[in-house]
This record gives sequence, structure tokens and C-alpha cells, in this order.
Amino acid sequence: MRLLILLLFPLLAWAEPATTIRQVEVKKAPAADAETIGQIAENTAVDALERKGGWTRVKSASGDGWVRMLALRFGGPGEAKKGDSGISKLFNVARTGSSGTTVTTGVRGLDPEMLANAQPNPAELAKMEQFAVTPQAAAGFAAKGKLKAHPVEEVK
Amino acid sequence: MIRLLFFAVFFLSTTGMAHAQFRLPSLDVNRLVDSAKNLGKATKEINQEEEIAIGRDLAATLVGAAPLVADVRVQRYVNSVGRWIASQSERPDLLWQFGVLDAPQLNAFAVPGGTIFITRGLLERMQSEAELAGVLGHEIVHVVKKHHLKAIQKGAMSALAGDALSIAVQNKNAAANEKLVSFGKEMYSRGLDKGDEYEADRLGIVYAARAGYDPYGLPSVLQTLQSINAQDSAVALMFKTHPAPGDRLDQLGEKMQPTLDAYSSQPNLADRFRAEFKPAK
Repeated sequence: MRLLILLLFPLLAWAEPATTIRQVEVKKAPAADAETIGQIAENTAVDALERKGGWTRVKSASGDGWVRMLALRFGGPGEAKKGDSGISKLFNVARTGSSGTTVTTGVRGLDPEMLANAQPNPAELAKMEQFAVTPQAAAGFAAKGKLKAHPVEEVK
Repeated sequence: MIRLLFFAVFFLSTTGMAHAQFRLPSLDVNRLVDSAKNLGKATKEINQEEEIAIGRDLAATLVGAAPLVADVRVQRYVNSVGRWIASQSERPDLLWQFGVLDAPQLNAFAVPGGTIFITRGLLERMQSEAELAGVLGHEIVHVVKKHHLKAIQKGAMSALAGDALSIAVQNKNAAANEKLVSFGKEMYSRGLDKGDEYEADRLGIVYAARAGYDPYGLPSVLQTLQSINAQDSAVALMFKTHPAPGDRLDQLGEKMQPTLDAYSSQPNLADRFRAEFKPAK
């Protein structure tokens, strides 16, 4: 069973309502040294369109461009989206539907109640070992992605 | 899998309660409580072997709540990312293992000894390998800083003081083991101290940066979480056990902006991430 990410969550072209938590400069490009093309006041509603590093491209009444992503907050508790995402329902349908067999009997998962009723399953845990990756293999995987390790200080 | 808990061993051996069942009526409860307090001190020296044993029981319980996703490729991919980040931590030599749990809820768990879980639900909301790296980095910090282990030690003091009598009387390994599992469930449904979570956010970002990733992965995931209604059942446990995403972003903005910006041009490997999760053809 492959994960159904692309089918269910095409978030790359998302437009999410957000609010500025302080006055922000609007940049022409996602970089601190890019040209400043405007300002957005604190507590202004914007539409977030795209993220790149520490920058988010927004559309607003006072201008379009790139602002610091940490200056944006999305819908808080009780605001914005109402109701349940229903993803658990979607997935149960997808799973039984695609495999043609009865994979799931009843809903399991990690709700507080389900965790409270969980019984240890050492056999399932033992399966994990076959997926483990050696440090050497992980280093090779990193090199393929052109990831370079280097020291960075802890911030207390 | 039944293991005699080290603290139960300590407790029983230091109080001589192995014999208590023969003279139950004269049990001195105050003495039991004192012993449990001593035990709290003694457990500060939990060794790595004991840590791994405790972790095994807790991890078995979490996979008891939701099984592993039956997709070797996804499991290996998450292990590759996680193991690479763990190698940049202060405990690179633990036997780190990572598992994707087949649950629609959004969450991730760290277990003492080096076992990390992430749910399918959370993975599906991510958009890049850097986001995965940020979340795994956060969980790795919990293990490196022994946040759960310390919570267990603290809990063992009060829990054992309250139940010292029954443990002593039963004098069974199974009882002590059950106690750990039930305390573990409570711990994972109640959450850690907020301070531990903020520390895991800060240092998790540092680990991701050390591993060569764009460190904005974790803040991006926090923004995604923030855009989900807190009443949504998919985030119920996560929001119950963690500070609000907005508060976590505030903390990061205060302390981590220089680190975040210094390494923001590092790759986020969104393409590799997407390639790994292509639906089967």
C-alpha cells in the first residue's frame, strides 16, 4: 500500500488565510537582501501562497510579495476551519477499497482513548528491526541528497 | 517480554519486602514510602541497558495502539533520514530505529533507548524531506535529553509510593511491568513539560541544520499544524500533549531566528520526498 499523499493533499499550491503578528517588510524575492517593495501592518489578514526557506509569499490588500514566515500565524483554535477533516474515514475506505481484502477490523489509531486501551504488541515491534538503517548507509543516503554535515551550536 | 523493572528490583531488595508477604499485618507503610523516595534518587543512575529495556516495553505498547505501515520503502526512507540526523546528535551510537505507524492522526513519539515513531497522518501532511528532518530531529532530542526517562523516574517515585504495598505483596515481575506500561500510556497521553517540548524544538532545528537540511522544516510543520482546527480529532492527542503551535513558533522566533537564517539556503529535498511517496502504479 503506497501512501496517498499526492492524491489527498495537493498542498503545494495552497492559499491559506493567515495573519501578521507584527509589521513586516514585503520583499520582491525570498531573501533578506532582496528589494523591499512594501510594508504590511501588524494584524493584517493575508493569503499565504507558497513557502521557501524562511519566507512565505503572500497576497494582501497592502501588497503582494515575500514576508518572513515566522511573522505569520494561521487559524487558531476554534477559528478558521470548522469540523473534522475526516481523514480517518477517507483512509479506511481507501485501504479496504484498494486492497480488496479486509485489512482493517474496526478503527485503530492514536486517539487518547485508543492509547489508553492499547495492549503491548512485541511481535509488531520486532518487525521494526528489518527496517533499521546503519549509520554508514544513512551517510550514503545523505550524500546522494547532497547533504553535508557540519557543526552547529546548541541554543539554550 | 516480561521484564523485572529495575526500580522494582531495587525497591524489593532494599526493603527486604520479598519476605513481607509472610508478615503482612505488621507492614510499615511509612517505611515503604521512604524506600520509594530513596528509589527516586537511585534511579538517577539508570544505565543504557535499563533505558533500552524500558523503551522496549513502551514501544511495544505504542505499536499496540497502531501497527506499522506495511510499506518497506516508506519505512526504510524514514529510517534513512532519521538515522542520518541521529548521527549528528550527542548520542550517535544508540541503536536508533524509526517506524511509521498506520494511524490517520497527526503525531510523533520518542521512546527511551532510541525508538522513534511518526504517524502516517503526519507524514502525509508534509511537503519536503526537511520537514520530516525537523520532526524527527525534535523526537531525537527527547531521547538524547532523556525527557521521557526523567518523567518516568519522577513518576516512579509517587506511583510506587502509592502502590508499594500491592507490589510488595504480589512480588511479581508482571505487576511491575504492567505498572510501567500503564504509566507509559499515561505519560504519552498527558505529555511532557512544556519546557522539554521547547527544548526539543530548538535543538531539533539545530540537528536538522547540522545534518545539512534547511532548518525551516520544523517551523513549516508547525504552521501546517496551526492551520488545522484544534477540535479536529486528527490532532486531538497531539494538541493535548504539546504547547499550541503558535506558542512554539513564538518561542522559535525569539531564540532561533539567527540559526534558522544562517542555514536556510541548505536543501529541503522536496523532490526526493515526493518521489518516495508516489502512489503505486
